[in-house]
Amino acid sequence: MLTRGTLVYVSQRLVLIAFTVVAVSSLVFVGIHRLPGNAFVSERVKGAKLELLLHEYGLDRPLLVQYQEYATNALFHADLGESFVNRGLKITPLVLRELSVSAEVGGTALIVTIGLGMLLGVVAAVRQNTWVDYLLTSISVVGYSMPSFVTATFLLLVFGIWLANVTGGALEYPIGWTGTYGTLAELSVPAFALGFPFASIVARLTRASMLEVLRQDYVRTARAKGLRERVVIIRHGLRNALIPVTTILGPLVIGIVTGSVVIETIFAIPGLGKEFVESILRHDYNIVIGVFTMYAAMVGLANLAVDVAYTVIDPRIRY
Amino acid sequence: MRLPALKLGALSAIGMVLVACGGSSSGTTQSLASDQTLKFPIFGEFGTLDPGQLDAEVDSEIAQNIFNGPLRYDNNLNIIPDIATDVPTTSNGGISSDGLTYTFKLRKDVTFSNGDKVTAKDMIYSWNRAAALQGPYGSNLSAIAGYSAVTKYTKGLKPSKKADVTAKAAFNKTVEDALAANDPKVMMTGLTSPDANTVVVKLDSAAGWFLSAVTLESTTGMIVDQKVIQTTPRDWWTVPATLVGTGPFKMTQHTAKQSADFVSVPNWWGSPKPTLKAVHLDILDPSSQSTAIASFEQGKYDIVGYGGWSSQPKADILRIQQTANEKSQLLLQPKVRTTWVSFNVNPAHPAGGPFTVDKGQKAKDLRTAFALAVDKSKLQSVVCQNITCSAATGGLITKGLKGYLGDGTDPLGKFDATKAKQLLTGADPTGTLTAGLKYSYNTGSPNDDVATFLQDQWKTNLGINVGLDPHPDATAFINDRQAGKFVLARDGWQADYDHPQDWFDNLWGKMAEDSTANTSGYAPNASDQYNVLLTKADAEPLDKALPTYKQISELLSTDVVDIPLYYSVGQFLFKPYAKGAGTNNFFDHFWNEISILQH
Repeated sequence: MLTRGTLVYVSQRLVLIAFTVVAVSSLVFVGIHRLPGNAFVSERVKGAKLELLLHEYGLDRPLLVQYQEYATNALFHADLGESFVNRGLKITPLVLRELSVSAEVGGTALIVTIGLGMLLGVVAAVRQNTWVDYLLTSISVVGYSMPSFVTATFLLLVFGIWLANVTGGALEYPIGWTGTYGTLAELSVPAFALGFPFASIVARLTRASMLEVLRQDYVRTARAKGLRERVVIIRHGLRNALIPVTTILGPLVIGIVTGSVVIETIFAIPGLGKEFVESILRHDYNIVIGVFTMYAAMVGLANLAVDVAYTVIDPRIRY
Repeated sequence: MRLPALKLGALSAIGMVLVACGGSSSGTTQSLASDQTLKFPIFGEFGTLDPGQLDAEVDSEIAQNIFNGPLRYDNNLNIIPDIATDVPTTSNGGISSDGLTYTFKLRKDVTFSNGDKVTAKDMIYSWNRAAALQGPYGSNLSAIAGYSAVTKYTKGLKPSKKADVTAKAAFNKTVEDALAANDPKVMMTGLTSPDANTVVVKLDSAAGWFLSAVTLESTTGMIVDQKVIQTTPRDWWTVPATLVGTGPFKMTQHTAKQSADFVSVPNWWGSPKPTLKAVHLDILDPSSQSTAIASFEQGKYDIVGYGGWSSQPKADILRIQQTANEKSQLLLQPKVRTTWVSFNVNPAHPAGGPFTVDKGQKAKDLRTAFALAVDKSKLQSVVCQNITCSAATGGLITKGLKGYLGDGTDPLGKFDATKAKQLLTGADPTGTLTAGLKYSYNTGSPNDDVATFLQDQWKTNLGINVGLDPHPDATAFINDRQAGKFVLARDGWQADYDHPQDWFDNLWGKMAEDSTANTSGYAPNASDQYNVLLTKADAEPLDKALPTYKQISELLSTDVVDIPLYYSVGQFLFKPYAKGAGTNNFFDHFWNEISILQH
């Protein structure tokens, strides 16, 4: 629970996250500026014109001067600068908007991961060694054996193309994205594709954990008290089985965040993930730094949220 | 144990992904659809839509619907009047007999989308501004008297390296303030207006390419609104409210890297009047092209390939070619890029190598051997799968453009392995000259496949092991190539306007010398035959100059400056109900020519 100790712990972690974010963005700043080439690739921008352009963006100045300016603007004005490829495009509002889109997709994928994973795990445990268990376990094995981009392409093919062909276009998954945030229909397939491999891991862990918990004395006692099976499984079994599952949520969240790079590309989602590769390829330094900064913050905060969640699930844990 | 939750969940999941959509009927009628909104994807955010700074084709294809110049190209690439009442010619008195003075008479009914009236003053302001900004196409105005003085002034504006970067906005403001004050330093002396609807342009020397250059859509010849630009001199085009032009469409919404919306300008002055009410662009990532094609097939988009994004994934195009009800929607359109292999022929270049002109006939024989050993037709079928390119057999200039020599006319475009081997044996009997050669290229599609193909051709037909020198960074590669660091390198040019001058001047002529773009170091002296012919041709009207330009093209073949490889072909998908939608070598058909039929 949120005790004073927990609040102190959260505060310390937030400071640490801030330092990490600054360190990551600084390292990326130096690294990306050391790469050969620049953003102004054009057969017509050469010689004096190129010099003028480099000067316009301050790229002809010493790296230290550029870094000082970048750090000052980023830290004190929350200004990550302007795109070099797309003139006049401000980075901060762009990456914040894209981050929120990615969070929508990632958040939904997390719901799929936890919800579906736990459901499959619990059912498999309760129906241990029956055909249901074998079926769900097989699905889990397939799930975590397949990379998300394979799942995504397969789902796109099935629901976006084959289903449309079979039904003459009457039923189909609408490929693509129509606004900043996806509708439930648009979101469903990418979130499933992103979350399914992780849901399979959660299912395997939940099953194993549930099997162990269901054999505990206190579960037998609960049944002996005459509690309904559903109450025994959910309140006494699942809650205790969740603790080991929670420990892997941190790495899972990171997996979902990085997995979104591929999923956003496949489904043409205007999130932060697609920016990741594209900005590096185009030498759009400020966007690269902005994307890395946002990812560093997101991963740090997600891990913190998982750590805080321990205290809610397991009252024995104190900070 | 019953599990209703599981069943419900499964049904819900299926329900979430099944969205009812009306099926599209085949066949169309000629009546218009009630929704006149054109929808298509582009695969990158705008670089800039400011005609003074615009560089990329992908931006030009959008901006051409927002801005006009005195003249424009029609869909058959003829120059026709736009804001001007006529195309200046010697016969109508628009061009003086010495070719030095051009007179543009402007229409009196032209307005910007904000209602501001367009006069000669606007044209003079727009062209002076473009010259002073020195954007990528600033040199399109370089024939005008006073141009070089203005550019000299601009270069002087560059502050010291210690200056604050916020100077980036200051540069545009300084130029804008100078223009507002009619400062002679930013006014080309060759531009005058005897009355409110006439602009007289005096050139430094006769330039037969001048009209072609200033007609280039979306760039420095376009007319912009000084009143609007003065408010935010650098970023005025980024905000729909201040992105003001004279074109048939104006922007209403733009979410960076997501979407942009345009609507037709009410009571637009030009013709044809737009039938489309709106145009919606989804701004996607380049790696989402296959997804966009799938969306097109579902009916979300009316066109794929517009906006300068005419290179589609080959697998998708092959699939569509084999799909009975879709193949008629595919158009393969020759575009304006030629790709070749450059030899380093200049001994002064750091790359050196066996192909330099100081080595005389031996070097020339070697270059010819390397050229003849490449089967360009095979390249077209194997690498391009007859979709993305056609074999370059008609000279440097792409097929379909003025100056193209004709199919099979270029001796270097031929494939003759026997002759190639003979030439090689004569020039390099021991193989020492050609040992350790490398082919340099920037990685990506189709460059990787082309490189492997070339390596195989030279190995098979000449017995030479040429190493591959891939460069993942395109900018660094181009910089190194321009610095003459490669012996054999991938090279190419995408035409800007339909005039041979655009090729020859920019590649090996005076513009290339100014900006060190002369990759192979060919014809470095003004007295070289290439430059003599080019100077003569540039000064003449195109119809008179064409034979000389063809002579230059043949000279490049005779001197074996490069190995022509292929001409690029674009792939477009059009729904049958998108009437008037189409494209030519250079640009998409304008949005005001398109209507959506009932479907």
